[in-house]
Amino acid sequence: MAEADPNWVERLVEPARVHKAVYTDQRVYDLEMERIFGQAWVFVGHESQVKEHGDCWSTMIGKEPVVMTRDSKGDIHVLYNRCPHKGAKLTAEGCTKHKPMFRCPYHAWMFRMDGSLVSVPHRHGYDGTSFDPDDPQFSMTPVARVENYRGFVFCSLSEEGPDLKTFLGGAITSMDNFVDRAPDGEIEVAGGVQRVMQRSNWKIFFENLNDTGHPIATHESSFLAARKTSKHKLGGEVPFQLHIIEGNGEAPEFWESLDLRAFDYGHSFMTAIFHAPKGKISEDYKAALDTAKGKEEADRIVSMNRHNTIIYPSCSPHTGFHQLRVIRPISINRTMVEIFTFNLKGTSEEYWQRTITYSNIVNSPSSTVMVDDVEVYERCQEGMESDGMDWISQHRGEGRDNLLDREIQSEGISEMPIRNQFRAWSHYMLGTPASIPTGGGDS
Amino acid sequence: MLTSAQLDKPIVDSDLQREIEHFLSYEAHLLDTNQLEAWDSLFTEDGMYWIPLEHGQEDPVGMVSIAYEDAILRDVRIRRLAERHAWSQQPPTISTHQVTNAIVTAHDPTAGTLTVRSRFQVVEWRKRNFLRHLAGGYVHDLIKIGEQWRIKLKRVDLVNCDGVHDNFELFV
Ligand code: FES
Ligand SMILES: [Fe+2]
Repeated sequence: MAEADPNWVERLVEPARVHKAVYTDQRVYDLEMERIFGQAWVFVGHESQVKEHGDCWSTMIGKEPVVMTRDSKGDIHVLYNRCPHKGAKLTAEGCTKHKPMFRCPYHAWMFRMDGSLVSVPHRHGYDGTSFDPDDPQFSMTPVARVENYRGFVFCSLSEEGPDLKTFLGGAITSMDNFVDRAPDGEIEVAGGVQRVMQRSNWKIFFENLNDTGHPIATHESSFLAARKTSKHKLGGEVPFQLHIIEGNGEAPEFWESLDLRAFDYGHSFMTAIFHAPKGKISEDYKAALDTAKGKEEADRIVSMNRHNTIIYPSCSPHTGFHQLRVIRPISINRTMVEIFTFNLKGTSEEYWQRTITYSNIVNSPSSTVMVDDVEVYERCQEGMESDGMDWISQHRGEGRDNLLDREIQSEGISEMPIRNQFRAWSHYMLGTPASIPTGGGDS
Repeated sequence: MLTSAQLDKPIVDSDLQREIEHFLSYEAHLLDTNQLEAWDSLFTEDGMYWIPLEHGQEDPVGMVSIAYEDAILRDVRIRRLAERHAWSQQPPTISTHQVTNAIVTAHDPTAGTLTVRSRFQVVEWRKRNFLRHLAGGYVHDLIKIGEQWRIKLKRVDLVNCDGVHDNFELFV
């Protein structure tokens, strides 16, 4: 992959295999930061994380520290988290409050929540200099574009590219369903944020999210253990907390029967593998949704049952259990996953506790399920860093995709979502992000 | 919780203090020697094992945790470690637990209940490159059933509970 060859990136991706360098070559990672995380719509946070004037949520967009703020008029901004004076980061990571304005810890320049400069100390020191408080170079810099879709705030570091709705394409139905499930029509981030470190490249995690071929193999230890617990401790009964562990052990036909759908820009989803348990909590919830939306609409909402949706390259909503996993590349072989849990307004305390239980069992750093995922990701990373072989196979289901209108459909065990991610990846990396076809319909 | 002024002297006699310290050491011994079923049987039927996610977290059911496990979930964790294809346990994690600074902060002889706070250091070793140091405080809510102290709640407060974590496979 000589750098002298201008097409070196292009040659890393073939229709059903990729060169291992996409996971292991530092030059690829650096280019991804620029061309993928510097171009795509990347999830920043949810508007409920900045409810009031002065609330801030700080995170990373690729390698750029940014801060999402709420100003005095109620508008949301996303700013580069650095002081225009000497570059100091203005806020710590996570949630902070800066009412009524930012004060830089270094020389106390002050900024409004929209980033504009309010004042600098020792003002007379600037008399007669070319310092001009109205010149944007002396204010905090906003990111190029910010859009809020039903509470989910995304930003793009590039002026160019599609708007957010066009970018989300068919995957927007998962965002809609996420919010539609709230009887009062509103959702909020609540209950704390779990954080997990993976010792592997960020793309490995994205590929796994719709990889229906792995659960039976990878999760054997946890689903067999859960079945034994059920048998020996509960007389064969499978309560919710065991269902979401042992469900990974469904027979091959089950995984083959799932429906996979993929869209432009690398997004996709798979249909549900775990269902909400029957019983009072679910019945009360459905009754509340019926009252709020009418039975027909409520039926439509709850019948849209999906497992992971992929919003490439930054997050993965789970609509049925109200989780959003946010994926932040840290380095070529380190990936941080942040897990947000959402409270649906108009649901019971018990319903909320079930959301918490799901996150504790499936997504927390102590998950007996995820631990084997993280292990295999690391094994992939270590294996690909060796010189044994150069190519990574994505052949499962190749050539059997159904091309619909800007949408690809395929059988349950296809690696189509992975191929779809790399189609988008190639276009970003070759610098043509505005025209990503899926091969579907009119493209 | 009692104030430091009330804790400047032990609130239990030295025999009970020693008995409780022995209990904590014994519990750690069971974890270090991988006798996890015996360890689990120290819990009452409704006993809970809890690693909060946030410092001072009060609520285990309305907030996420690093772990909040009842008898069923502890049983799954224990059985999983014994499974042949527990990939992340090839090779298995080895751990050592040290428990110190045990202070009994509540004791009700009539109800048979007792709360002991202590500090811990845990080191885990796995594979050629994974050495993890965990530290923090334990709170054990105990109850005496017959001659045996049993755990109603074991709370594990990690100094870095709010950090970014590698997986927790064993019990801390
Ligand atoms: S670096 Fe911010 S005021 Fe000097
Ligand atoms: Fe998995």
